[in-house]
Parts: sequence; structure tokens; C-alpha cells
Amino acid sequence: MTREKIIELVNSIFIEQFELEREELTPDKKIFEDLGLDSLDIVDLITGLQRKFKIPLRENEEIRQIETLADIYSLFEKLATENPDIAAKIIN
Amino acid sequence: MKRITPTLFIYLSMAFWTIIYCSIAMVVYLIALVSPKRLSGHIMRYVILYYGQTMIHIAIRPFISVKYEDQAAGDKRPGIYIFNHRSASDPFLMSIFGIEAIQVVNGWPMRLPFFGHFARSCEYIDSTKIDYEAVKEHIASLVSRGVSIMAFPEGTRSDGRVMNKFHSGIFKLAMDTKTLIYPCAIVGNEYLPDRKFRFPKCGKIVIRRLKAIETAEIEKCPTAYALKNRIRNIIQAETEKMDKDDNHENLL
Repeated sequence: MTREKIIELVNSIFIEQFELEREELTPDKKIFEDLGLDSLDIVDLITGLQRKFKIPLRENEEIRQIETLADIYSLFEKLATENPDIAAKIIN
Repeated sequence: MKRITPTLFIYLSMAFWTIIYCSIAMVVYLIALVSPKRLSGHIMRYVILYYGQTMIHIAIRPFISVKYEDQAAGDKRPGIYIFNHRSASDPFLMSIFGIEAIQVVNGWPMRLPFFGHFARSCEYIDSTKIDYEAVKEHIASLVSRGVSIMAFPEGTRSDGRVMNKFHSGIFKLAMDTKTLIYPCAIVGNEYLPDRKFRFPKCGKIVIRRLKAIETAEIEKCPTAYALKNRIRNIIQAETEKMDKDDNHENLL
């Protein structure tokens, strides 16, 4: 359930902020090569993720390693597992 | 029998008219060198503009015609001009607009022995320099002085009629400086010259300026990424229409 909710929330950022179509957002999609984001767009993505999940990410080293959409989903799944407060925010 | 191409004639003509132009413009250039920085930049931009017009309307005219179509009803407001980028000739074509403008370049042109000096004097923007706030301030200053910015957000020439993805930088700057955008399409120059800087045949280049995207509309875009894709789609649709209209030959 939580992973599905995470996928829905992450994808909503790409749909609302980046005006991508839902059909384009498959887990294997590479953020830079396939979706065409560049380094400036990543700043907007992180800002969007922070707002959506209400958690700070600027100091998070793992966010800088992401390459695919699946990496983003897995990162938030990990954050939710390690921190019940974050899990509660995601569920709500 | 080897086909004769216009390559040599075009380069000879450009070299000849460059010498003529430099001889005439030398006095103006020297005045610019001793003028205060802002005035110097202003003078140099017109020196470059008229050089470009000499190349387009005289030097290459016997071989390549350049046609300008304005769908922005003569809108004279300064703005950010966004182009597709098929050819090395694109930067020279900017003079067709007849306006005071600078270009956003991809680093290496600033280091060229002859052109680099003029690029720096004209206050061109080096996209490889990453001081965002300084560039933002620079663009705002230029636009307030009536100077437009010409940008090729693909970053490098595409292969033929393909249009590569756009980089977001100039669009973020347009949003942050509240500068309007003119989407522009260039067709017919994909092999003028080719990637080896040869001109396989004579031809016709068409440059079309589309109606401005106003700041109110730009502000509605949630991110620079969304804005760049909207502009890219507009230019893509226009180049496809123009390629069909003019039946440009595929030279290779």
C-alpha cells in the first residue's frame, strides 16, 4: 500500500510540475536521458518532492544518486521504513 | 566527373567581404575600444549586426537566399528569442532581425581568436559559466536597455531536421527576469553548411519569428521544464510545417 501511495505522489509531481503524461512515467524511465530533465530541473524536482512529502531533502545524499523513477520510489520507501513520522505523512 | 560545389566560392566571398567590411568599420571599432564599457558594448553589437547583414545580404546572397517571415506583427519589444539549431550558420543568421541583440553561446565561441573578442565585447552570455544570479542580473540589465537575447537551447547543432531536447537554463532565466519569449523557427539550413563545413549546393533559408509568449503566460508554467517543452513543441510544429511548405530537398 505505501509503495503504491509513494508512486502516486511522486508521479503527481511529474504530471503537475513538469506536465508529463501519466503513460510516460514507468519505473524504468531514466530521469535525465528519457524524461529530459537537466541539473536545473532536478532542483525543481527536489523542491517539489519536499513540498509533496513535507520532508527536507537538500542534505540527503541518496537523492543525488537517483537515475530512474524506480530509484525515487525506492528512496521514499526506505525513508518511510526508517522513519514512522515520514510513513505517517505519506499515508495521510 | 566530380561535381563542383559552391563551398569555395562562398568562403572566398565571405573572406572578401569581411576584409571590405573590416576596413570600413575599423574607425567605429577603434571608437568602441576607447568608449566606456556600456557604450562600447552598444557600438560593438551594431558592428556585429551590420557585419552579419553584410554576410547575409551581400556575401552569400548569390548562393544562399535568407528569407525572414515575421508573425509577431513587427513587435519591437526586447525579449528572449528561442531557436531550433540545425547548422553552424545559425549565429550568422541572427542579423536578419536587424535588432540590437546578444547571443547565448556554448563556451567555445568565446575562446575563438577573432570572433571571441567580439563576443566578449558585445556582452554575449557563456552558458558554461554557472553563476546563475550574475547571468540573471545581466539579462535583466540588457533587456532594460532594449537589447534582446538570442538562444539555442539544444546546446549544439542537431543532425539534419531532428530537434534535440532543450536545456532549461534560458527558460528559468525568462521566468525569473519576467522577459517575454519569441519562439523562432529556422529551416533550409540543415546542410548549409554540413557538419564538415561544406556547402553541397545553393539553397534557401527561411527564418520565422512567431508571436511572443507573454510574461503572464510564462508565469502560468509551473516549472522551467514545462515552459521549455511548450516552446519546443511550438517550434517543432512550426519547423515541420515550414519543411513541408518549402519542400526542402534532403541533400544527403
